Amino acid sequence: MSVLRCLLGVLGVALASYGAWLALTRQDAGQLVEIAVWLGAGVVLHDVVVAGAVLGGVALGRRVLPPPWRAPATLALVVWGGVTLMAIPVLGRFGARPDNPTLLDRPYLGTWVALTVLTFVAVVVTGWVRERRGRVT
Amino acid sequence: MRIPHPHDFSSRLRSPAVAARVGAWLGACFLVCFGTGLVSHWAQLPSPAIGFPTSPSWGYRATQGLHVVTGCAAVPLLLVKLWTVYPRLFERIDLRLDRRTVLACIERASIGVLVASAIFQLATGLANAAQWYPWREFSFRTAHYAIAWVAIGALVLHVAVKLPLIRAALGSDVDSGALDRPSSVTAGPVSRRALLRGTWAAAGVAVLATAGGSVPWLRSVSVFAARSGEGPGGVPINKSAAAAGVLDAATDPAWALEVQVDGSVSARLSLADLRALPQHTVELPIACVEGWSAQGHWSGVRVRDVLAAAGATTGHDVAVTSLQERGPFTRTLLPASFADDDRSLLALDLAGEPLDLDHGYPCRVIAPNRPGVLQTKWVSSLEVTT
Repeated sequence: MSVLRCLLGVLGVALASYGAWLALTRQDAGQLVEIAVWLGAGVVLHDVVVAGAVLGGVALGRRVLPPPWRAPATLALVVWGGVTLMAIPVLGRFGARPDNPTLLDRPYLGTWVALTVLTFVAVVVTGWVRERRGRVT
Repeated sequence: MRIPHPHDFSSRLRSPAVAARVGAWLGACFLVCFGTGLVSHWAQLPSPAIGFPTSPSWGYRATQGLHVVTGCAAVPLLLVKLWTVYPRLFERIDLRLDRRTVLACIERASIGVLVASAIFQLATGLANAAQWYPWREFSFRTAHYAIAWVAIGALVLHVAVKLPLIRAALGSDVDSGALDRPSSVTAGPVSRRALLRGTWAAAGVAVLATAGGSVPWLRSVSVFAARSGEGPGGVPINKSAAAAGVLDAATDPAWALEVQVDGSVSARLSLADLRALPQHTVELPIACVEGWSAQGHWSGVRVRDVLAAAGATTGHDVAVTSLQERGPFTRTLLPASFADDDRSLLALDLAGEPLDLDHGYPCRVIAPNRPGVLQTKWVSSLEVTT
């Protein structure tokens, strides 16, 4: 193991320990329990729910989609899925307040539906074109 | 149903060649997020050892905008990165008490910390940017700051552990199978290059969909930004007068700004008194910790002129108290360098109109290069200790 790697490793442990110390000294027991729950829940949500949904979706795609459709569907899933997860807080408008019309003041859900339809159409068109090309050549 | 084994995953797309390339950009995003987050933390410290600079006036606007935009870009990058390494989650560890097993366990634990803290940072940050607080106990500011150190530390450790693999992966062709797991033999639905392009596209869409919160010319395409950028005087509102509980106090005709010098009241200035002082106009942004920002055309009196009118000398920190009675920012400290700056105003007008009640009527602080939470609204008093 090189010196650089050792130094990086020690630096990493030091930085993370400082963060843990910050949390432990600036939040009380109840707050720390909630932080721990959120840390754990994030991992479970990803590793079980999100990853599971992607695995299921891919398995389903492999069964129902003809091969020329799989590439556009995969790329659509990457873009649409990533952006959708990122947009959850605004899509739900959970933070909206009646006394503040300047907050969360865009038509998020309508835009998201439009984005979803657009993605779907793009997959259908690309898949259809690829299928036709495949037959000709 | 049994627990999967790494060899159940056969796609050639789940390769270190892909993981290292996505990871490099994800790591860059996290570093930018961490750096700009530290700047934001520094800007909010009440009395930092090294004073926060007053120029450029758009500095905080740029760093905090970058903070939120890189955080948004990191969401699709993190999802793809985790997808490429997902089989490793199911790798079995030999339960023999030797050095290799111990090291493997430590590495596994460090990955767990990295993934948990990365998801925590993105989830809490995105929720905060949309003013959504689904947690009950912990303080967002404290937790987001502390876990940021954990995340960056775990990331640095991860890079240290993986450095030879990262070098080998980035140094060879993306299609090379040299570093792949033995079971990665099935061609995926797209090539590795296409998956990477799709990932960059997803990050790009995430950026465009949110960056308009801080980059005005992107407003029309930023369909998932938490604000359209509209508001009274062209500036959005973070907390309304009703939410702050100041409706009565702020509209009371008897309101007067109290200026205390060395503990005793030196001056009480009504709105008419303030308007009788020399008026100045500045173009300064309101830049919120939540990432959005907007340029405003503010008019009012210079903070130092108000202090001079009360007989205070320059060169002192100024405690600013708001009519708002609850909340962490009801009393803020305007450091001497900001208080004495020509551009620091007690603003009375925005865009040529008297301040909207929600923008801090009767008067608010507007100073260059400061987080929005410190641009105190509904000011009731200034205090100086000479």
